Amino acid sequence: MLRQIKPKNARSKRALAKQEPLMQENAKTTLFLKGTSSSSLVNDLLTDIHSLKRPYAIRFTKKNPIHPFEDASSLEFFSQKNDASLMVFGSHSKKRPHSMTWVRCFGGQMLDMLELYVVQETARTLQQFKGEKCKVGVKPLLSFSGAQFESPVSNQYTLAKSMFVDFFRGAETQTIDVEGLQLLISFFVGEDGEDGQPAKIQMRCWRIVTKRSGQKVPRVEVEEIGPRIDFRVGRTREANEGVLKEAMKTGKGSEAKPKKNVETDVVGDKIGQIHLGRQDLNELQTRKMKGLKRGRDLDIDEEGEGEGEGAEEDEDVISEEEDDMGNGVKLKRPRLT
Amino acid sequence: MPFTKLVKNSAYYSRYQTKYKRRRAGKTDYYARKRLITQAKNKYNAPKYRLVVRFTNKDIICQIVTSEITGDKVFCAAYAHELKRYGVKHGLTNWAAAYCVGLLIARRALSKLELADTFTGVEEADGEYKLTEAAEHDGEDRRPFKCFLDVGLARTSTGAKVFGALKGASDGGILIPHSENRFPGYDIETKELDAESLRKYIFGGHVAEYMETLADDDEERYKSQFQGYIDDEIEADGLEEMYQEAHKAIREDPFMKDEEEGEEEKKSKDEWKAESKKHKLPKMSYEEKQERVKAKIGKVKESM
Repeated sequence: MLRQIKPKNARSKRALAKQEPLMQENAKTTLFLKGTSSSSLVNDLLTDIHSLKRPYAIRFTKKNPIHPFEDASSLEFFSQKNDASLMVFGSHSKKRPHSMTWVRCFGGQMLDMLELYVVQETARTLQQFKGEKCKVGVKPLLSFSGAQFESPVSNQYTLAKSMFVDFFRGAETQTIDVEGLQLLISFFVGEDGEDGQPAKIQMRCWRIVTKRSGQKVPRVEVEEIGPRIDFRVGRTREANEGVLKEAMKTGKGSEAKPKKNVETDVVGDKIGQIHLGRQDLNELQTRKMKGLKRGRDLDIDEEGEGEGEGAEEDEDVISEEEDDMGNGVKLKRPRLT
Repeated sequence: MPFTKLVKNSAYYSRYQTKYKRRRAGKTDYYARKRLITQAKNKYNAPKYRLVVRFTNKDIICQIVTSEITGDKVFCAAYAHELKRYGVKHGLTNWAAAYCVGLLIARRALSKLELADTFTGVEEADGEYKLTEAAEHDGEDRRPFKCFLDVGLARTSTGAKVFGALKGASDGGILIPHSENRFPGYDIETKELDAESLRKYIFGGHVAEYMETLADDDEERYKSQFQGYIDDEIEADGLEEMYQEAHKAIREDPFMKDEEEGEEEKKSKDEWKAESKKHKLPKMSYEEKQERVKAKIGKVKESM
């Protein structure tokens, strides 16, 4: 942890104010770095994930003598210095081949870690897939399939899911253009193998291609753009419960307002409920007939002697309108039939 | 010797991260690039196109570029040296040529997108400030093709030539968001654009003016400066017509082939590959290296 200094001048004060929590946080930056020994496979894959993450990513090229699960203090230092709360640390050793350690930080402190080993045989880099790639800085669609991701008890796979969502979500947007939906990252986990091996997480990246279909809705196809990685799950470091709770905290007023009176039924129809005030029975429109006409004596002066029925009906309409004007506009209950 | 504190110690150098390669070479402004290739986060996350304009000593390069995660992809390109096909043979880096190149790339891009008939732009250049607007395409309202000007490290002063290419592309029917205050003819004091003088620049009027003054004052200088024009018998008052013809020809066929191209056939990809191999030493295998070392040792032994 860095020393906390009380700001002495306006500039350092501004710099510190920038680090303060916000109601809506900006997009998290990811730092990519490697250990003292790293395989070319891991390096290549780190480059690929970095290019998927751009522009919210920093890549270090030098070797770092860091062992995250033994001492994470250097990682915390890098996190603070680079304003990066997410990190991917690549290393390779005989015991832990092709390992990537995914780290999340909160408040300059390490929150949780997950070690994933890349399966060398099935790994393919971005360059190995020919064809067009997606644009820089697009927001990906994420899909998770496999029962283990949905486990009610937190395990390595739920941790991985939470990590991946955090890593690839990018900046918050209110609206999105269909043109911008270009990247689909899917994660799949199967059942644990029969030989006692834990299930692998398969990561696949697809480009979403919209083609002309002749109709208004385009034909959507996907083609793989890489990287294609299968992960075996290694060591994990779960978050401290108190710290995690603190990290999940959101500011008051930022939560979405509950939508009242609007629901969608099973078929997908939108149903709205309208609340009306108490009905005024005096104003109830009953059957129209001459005998029930009110206040004949009121408009006696207008009642002409020699006028026909047409004139009377005209008058009727006018008087009704006047009534409405007097009471203001009101919603009328539909008549039950 | 006075005591000096060592600032750049070994810890400094061991932590030092070098800047990007093109930053170190002073070729890319990464601050600008980052903003040009990605959308603002409150926007729709749509892909962006850049109109890259670069000037060399003898040429102008215009490219429409998108950024993919593996690198930048050029959608289409146009060069000033191609203007020879359209009748502009001299002054290939001046303001009027920049306008022509801008027009050429706009017409190329739109015909590639099959929008050339929908967005015709300003057919008779008049120097008025005008942005391309949505137009009817296949019975539907279609927004224009939009891209952003990327000037690189060029200085963006009023009247700079990069804005000539911008004006050309904008008149060609591409939407490039801009304002009028960097065009020649813009008056800082009244904050108004003089369309007449912008029109003059579009048709090389400023060059013609200079030609006339030189021809009057300094005949010798005129001959050395405008030798190419004299050889082709282009007079100062014929310049405007030449540019008008060129603009018309560009609109007619933006993909004109070079007629004067050499007769010999173009080399295929494999031929170029073979050509480049001539100048590259192939890597030796392990066995070959061993042999070489043995031979060397034998030679030394012999000489002893």
